[in-house]
Amino acid sequence: MHYPWWYVPFLTSPMLIAIVSVLHIVVSHYAVGGGMFLAFETRFAYKSGNNNYLDYLHRHAWFFILVTVVYGAITGVGIWWTIGLASPLATETLIHTFVFAWAMEYVFFILEIVSAFVFFYFWGKLTEKTHLLAANIYAFSAWMSLFIITGITAYMLNPGAIPSDQSMWAGFFNPQLIPQVLARTGGAFLLTSLYVFLHASFKVKDKDLRNLIEKRSAKPALWGAIFVTLGGIGWYLMLPESAKAALAAASVLNVLMVLIFALTAAVFALMYFGPYKNPGWLSPGFAILFFICGFAAISTGEYVREAVRKPYIIYNDVLGNQIRAREIPGLIKIGYLEGGRWTYAWMKSNYPQVFTGENIDEKLLFELPEPDQLQIGAVLFQYHCNDCHALREGYSPVGHMIRGWTREMIKSTVMHPEKAAFFMPPFAGTPEEAEILTEFLEKLAPAHPAGMYYGKQQ
Amino acid sequence: MDPATLIAPSSPLGYPAPYWFLVLFKVLGFVLHSVPMNLWYAGIIIALLLRAFRNENGRIFSDRLMKQMPIIIALGVNLGIVPLLFVQVAYYKAFYPATILMAWPWLAIIALLTVAYYGVYAYTSSLKGIAFKDSRWPLWAGWISAIFFVIIGFLFVNGFSLMANLSAWPEIWKNTSVAGAPLGTALNTDDNSLWPRWLMMFGLAIMTTAAYSFFDCAFLADKESLAYKRWINGFAFKLYTIGMLWFALFGLWYSIGTWSNQAKQVMFATPTIILTAATALSPGLIWLVLLSRFHKERDSKPAALFIAICQFLVLGLNGISRQIVQNADIGIYFDVTTEQVNIQWSPMILFLLLFVAGLFTIIWLLNKAIVEARKSTA
Repeated sequence: MHYPWWYVPFLTSPMLIAIVSVLHIVVSHYAVGGGMFLAFETRFAYKSGNNNYLDYLHRHAWFFILVTVVYGAITGVGIWWTIGLASPLATETLIHTFVFAWAMEYVFFILEIVSAFVFFYFWGKLTEKTHLLAANIYAFSAWMSLFIITGITAYMLNPGAIPSDQSMWAGFFNPQLIPQVLARTGGAFLLTSLYVFLHASFKVKDKDLRNLIEKRSAKPALWGAIFVTLGGIGWYLMLPESAKAALAAASVLNVLMVLIFALTAAVFALMYFGPYKNPGWLSPGFAILFFICGFAAISTGEYVREAVRKPYIIYNDVLGNQIRAREIPGLIKIGYLEGGRWTYAWMKSNYPQVFTGENIDEKLLFELPEPDQLQIGAVLFQYHCNDCHALREGYSPVGHMIRGWTREMIKSTVMHPEKAAFFMPPFAGTPEEAEILTEFLEKLAPAHPAGMYYGKQQ
Repeated sequence: MDPATLIAPSSPLGYPAPYWFLVLFKVLGFVLHSVPMNLWYAGIIIALLLRAFRNENGRIFSDRLMKQMPIIIALGVNLGIVPLLFVQVAYYKAFYPATILMAWPWLAIIALLTVAYYGVYAYTSSLKGIAFKDSRWPLWAGWISAIFFVIIGFLFVNGFSLMANLSAWPEIWKNTSVAGAPLGTALNTDDNSLWPRWLMMFGLAIMTTAAYSFFDCAFLADKESLAYKRWINGFAFKLYTIGMLWFALFGLWYSIGTWSNQAKQVMFATPTIILTAATALSPGLIWLVLLSRFHKERDSKPAALFIAICQFLVLGLNGISRQIVQNADIGIYFDVTTEQVNIQWSPMILFLLLFVAGLFTIIWLLNKAIVEARKSTA
């Protein structure tokens, strides 16, 4: 309401954040874990004098740079782009709270880039000590960037002491920080092994070398699975009550939670009994299967992490529909249309006749012709509901959700969505606006599906 | 509709640092980003044209620049985060609405950049003989990258000019929205300042590429022949001349022809007029130095260092001037300098310490790597 709402038909604009985030996360975890893998394994290869393995690591470093420095870096910027477009108020709040955390992360990004290039482009031209130092600087910087960004995203779920203490640190060192850092570090280890398997299965023909890679990469993956599990448990324990309730109430989240743990357990078992205990399993098919499992586990994990935060983007502060929680009482009093900058300007430009002075007279809304009332209902829907609901078709479409509802049912839900489902934000408008929105939704709702038998004639 | 009614209320959190600090890092970050950005913006096209002209020395410079391009892009993309960060802190009221109104073209930058970046890698992999040997498609990939980077530049200029062109918001919003919600399909093409600004930036990019060719030859091209070094002296001068004339032409159009009255009042008033004049005339100094090197047989490290520093200052003066113009245009509707300030002292100090430590680590690591690499090849 402070900003224009970007209308993305079918998907809804916040879903673009989800898509870009998943595309990024799958690589950003590799950027962290891969750095540690290269640092650790290059040291091992130097120490053991295994030039064959060293040569493989050089080739893997090229693959690593192509994937992380290009795709990883750009999709990371892509998240910035999409959150600013689809969630401007939350982004405004986050950036005013954490600008220096992001600035610190940026310092580590630059260190990552420079050390990664020194590590790769100066390969064979440096002493072992300097070469490993570059790798260690990369690994440390990459993990620090994970640590910093996790502090910010964890804050969105549980802001810790921020409501009473507005310092950045109070928000950064929140109860979710350590569990999420642990889970993400584990995820980085796990995913990296899957990337190494994928790369080695296609690029390494020497069986002994492949077995060595397989065995050595299995160990961090096993530790990674343990960290993910421990982090996941910590994440659950530190969830706010509403998030735990959301997790318990939504069947899709139940299924996804089971799926994450089942996939992690399956990867753990396959990793332990396969590559770790009995090297020789590595083939492109096996690596692709593993990778798909890892991708599925991490993307469902991210989905659940985001979903349980509803109705907030920043817990107890910014709601999903770009309203600050503290603004709701004021909006209920003066009206959403008047309280929102862009809705106010839209009303002033299109319906000056409903204004008394500079204020909207809500009663006058009902004197407008019906098509105009429906148009205002559409505006209310766009700005108040479209962040989570597509219109007729698409992501969580409201049309299908209210199919066959009576006017009373719709109005009751519009008036008190937070009572109908606690993970919806409350209606931040006047009763007149609720009436207008009800009218719009009633026209939208399809009829009850035909042909359903309830034991008697309907 | 009065565009002022579309301005968001101030953040209750206030600025986390004084305005001067935010704008300093915004401009400094932009200037640092501009150096590599200029090299890919005009440099890739120049490199591909030099390859097409089949001049032997031109081909050497083309290959040298393109082999460095993946690193240049990586640094440029990451250095671009800083201004993006601070623009959102200090200019959020203008930045978010402007980018939302053109959301799809704005988001397209990410896709275009990904393709362009991989295109450069494909081209350089072919140059280095890593992949795509004896294939023509890396050349096509190079051209696609060059074109995409120019389009990205166009989209950026759209975004940042729309940010300061608040008077255009109501009309754009009206024409591209559904029930008051923008579709995000707009561009700022009706803005008179858009085209000269975009073209002026290209002139700056040509000048930076010319200055870099001279710097690269002096500091990074030890193994190249004397003939190449002699050629670069002439090439850098000629290219800089083209860039400077281009910059002068479109810069004049941009400033005299399209600046708002507010911007003109600020930029042509004392003492800001000194900055305006310095911004316009500063490339002349580099041009004179390059002219003095035109017929010289060898490269000169002091001259190259001087040119590099001066070109950085040229970019800096441009950045500062455009910041003042932006503030003047936005200032018609709201004052970015009067926001509440709640300084986050300890995070700010920690960031500054990390910034310095990071800079020293980078210099130390690069120095160590270069020294050891030289020893190993000696």
